[in-house]
Amino acid sequence: MTSPGDERLFMAGSVAEALAALADRGCEGAPFAGGTSIMRLPIWGAPQAAFYVGVGRIPELNAIDVGDDRIRIGACVTHSRLVAQLAGTAPCDGLVAAAGSAASPSIRGMATVGGNLCAWHFSAADLPPPLLCLDAEVELRSTAGVERIAVERFLAIRQDMEPGTLVTAVIIPRRPFLTGNARLLMRTAGDNPVATVSLAAMLGQNGLVEDIRIAVGSVERSARRWPRLEQRLKGLALEARKAGELAETELDAFTGRDGIDAPGWYRVQVLPALVRRAAAAALHS
Amino acid sequence: MPTPLIINGEHRVSWRDSMTPLIDVLRDEFSLTGAKSVCREGVCGACTVHIDGQPTVSCLVPIGTVGDREIRTVESLAAGGELSPLQQVMEEHDVVQCGMCFPGILMVLTSFLHERPHADRDEIKAALVGNICRCTGYERVVDAAAALARRS
Repeated sequence: MTSPGDERLFMAGSVAEALAALADRGCEGAPFAGGTSIMRLPIWGAPQAAFYVGVGRIPELNAIDVGDDRIRIGACVTHSRLVAQLAGTAPCDGLVAAAGSAASPSIRGMATVGGNLCAWHFSAADLPPPLLCLDAEVELRSTAGVERIAVERFLAIRQDMEPGTLVTAVIIPRRPFLTGNARLLMRTAGDNPVATVSLAAMLGQNGLVEDIRIAVGSVERSARRWPRLEQRLKGLALEARKAGELAETELDAFTGRDGIDAPGWYRVQVLPALVRRAAAAALHS
Repeated sequence: MPTPLIINGEHRVSWRDSMTPLIDVLRDEFSLTGAKSVCREGVCGACTVHIDGQPTVSCLVPIGTVGDREIRTVESLAAGGELSPLQQVMEEHDVVQCGMCFPGILMVLTSFLHERPHADRDEIKAALVGNICRCTGYERVVDAAAALARRS
């Protein structure tokens, strides 16, 4: 489907069309999915791209495929649809909690998984922490082919991706993780989080932590894991209070970013409470 | 270049740039001034319209992405000049203050109460987290919506 409008927007009907249009425009072109970040660029004083390729109506990018060993989420699946389709599906409790509490209902109906991952300037993005905990991979396509990279790697390179590259899906391996997510807002709801903690833990038959991932969002420029705390928790029983206490001793792992919503030190200071809540949520998942 | 749109059941054509936010086309080109252009970053909800029945902040929607989906604005709620049940209950409870946020609130609640006609106060409040009222008149809005939910 093409837009009958001018030359600033082309609505692609398929991934192939989108890739061809992006390749054609090179550095001037960029994908447009939910638009909740791109449409705000003028207000932030940042320029929009000269040309956008609309990908939000491509059926393949709007599909969620739940398999026995993995879940494939199309890049244009909105937060609302993710919640509707993956609620109760292991190991997605933490991811569903993050998507279901982001921003407001209207925004959740527009903002997409791929867009949230690509928004490098948005430190408070809700989905990177749970996706880091789930060992998710990002599927990238261009006219040169298909590539899958770990979400951690994607977050590191997303600002410098080759022109013509399109995020087409997120793939989550289905492992027996208990997952939880906790975020702190300055208002009760409808706000960006000051800090987010996501946790995924695999317990052995003895009930002790065999494997664990903890990721922190909104505290620094980009979400990242907390390896030292993960190491401290391995081999222990997963207890929310204990996890919070151990987090207190590992706070020097982060340097909080200052923002108008909260100073950097505060973002770091609230992490133990969020670790405690995320662990409690995981234990109830 | 023209962009065809379906607004309140009518086929319209916009001549604005395809990246133009829908709110600007509704207000400036078609004189549908019910939706308000306020924060322009999807935070306050004053510009909410329905697109294929889903409440959507029209400040973040370029017209070129709408395609053949149907847009409904607050002007469509009083079909045939008769207020909708939600509008009636809002009038009964004397809810309206300055009116800036109110069209967006009506659009969100119309959709929400259609899906959850027996919603309780907490659910109604949760549905309205994306609608900021500068007059802070939230309680009467929730009172009215809850009263309508009790009637249904």
